[in-house]
Amino acid sequence: MNEHITDLLSAYLDGELRGLRLRQVEDHLTICAACRQELDELRSLSGLLHETLPAKAFTPTERFAVNLALWLPRRPERAPARKVSESAWWLVPAGAVSVWIFLQTATIVSTLVTTAGAAGLLGNAASWLQSGPQQSVWFSASMNLFGSDLSGSSRTLLTILNSISVFETGFWAQLVWQAGIGLVILVWLAAWLTHVRTGGQSRFPQTGSHS
Amino acid sequence: MAVTETDLVLQAQLGDRNAYGELVRRHYQGVVRVVYRMCSDTALAEDATQEAFIKAWLNLPSFRPNAPFRSWLYRIAINTALDLLRRKPEVSLEENQIELVKDPIAGPESSLIEKERSALVQQAIKSLPEATRSVLVLREYGGLSYQEIAKALDLPLGTVMSRLNYARMRLRELLKGVLSQMESEHE
Repeated sequence: MNEHITDLLSAYLDGELRGLRLRQVEDHLTICAACRQELDELRSLSGLLHETLPAKAFTPTERFAVNLALWLPRRPERAPARKVSESAWWLVPAGAVSVWIFLQTATIVSTLVTTAGAAGLLGNAASWLQSGPQQSVWFSASMNLFGSDLSGSSRTLLTILNSISVFETGFWAQLVWQAGIGLVILVWLAAWLTHVRTGGQSRFPQTGSHS
Repeated sequence: MAVTETDLVLQAQLGDRNAYGELVRRHYQGVVRVVYRMCSDTALAEDATQEAFIKAWLNLPSFRPNAPFRSWLYRIAINTALDLLRRKPEVSLEENQIELVKDPIAGPESSLIEKERSALVQQAIKSLPEATRSVLVLREYGGLSYQEIAKALDLPLGTVMSRLNYARMRLRELLKGVLSQMESEHE
């Protein structure tokens, strides 16, 4: 190997060469005086860089660590975790209100369709009303309109709601489920106020004297 | 049994200041040496080091524990030093004004030579372009491997090697006189 290996000498000096490259450099150094001279100069430079001291001594490690501890600010909680937590809080009332809107709409639509059917306004279009004695009006309508788009679990849920006649048990049934939703919202409100008062700061425990 | 760095990082991420203090003790000397060689001023270097450790503490929750902590910390330190330098570009070499740390065994003449050499070395390092200087100080004063430097500065390994080659070649030119003087002393 006659070509000089100047570009590899720094990496050789730093112990960064492995395997074939390392052997190539070592072999070359045994036969090339110019590259050996180059390597010696690099060693001298490294020695010079390390033997020169800073103009003033640095603060000793222990003192620096103690001083830094006094300066360390309180760390803000992790933003992503907070976002998830906050959005989870709002899922509860949002879900309760959605359920309430859904049940109210279903009841109104069901009443309207029943009334229109009884008055003969729907004509043949109301034939699905007689699809079976077990099916409520809202259930028949949902199945006819959205049946093909519904997933298996959605169909099962609607069938259960239909079988327990959730929308057709009159005033008391409505009163019970509306009161239930109201209760859920009240419980959530109480929990949320508690969370706000405590500042929701239980997730990142601080140890040490400056927490 | 000694606590591993990964354990300390995990504890510090959860807010444990004692664990973070231990990380500071382990890395302070390396960081302050690197930062000093970047900015050539002891007071500025200590300010930058303190700022870097505070930044690291604040950003620790977003650090991935499996990543090399040292590379991450030195990246913050280098960036902080460069920011401070840009804010105070008039920083001059302090060797000419401030008394050098003295070797108690060496005589006054030796101390003077050492002082001059230190000033020349620091001047030469400071004259390197920032990108090259960062690679050089991380290797020479931080003791980082090429891989760690590549991670710290977000550079390909080949670029680390070429910048280091360039930095050393340039320093050899700039410090030719000092190097030959040293050689004659050793003969």
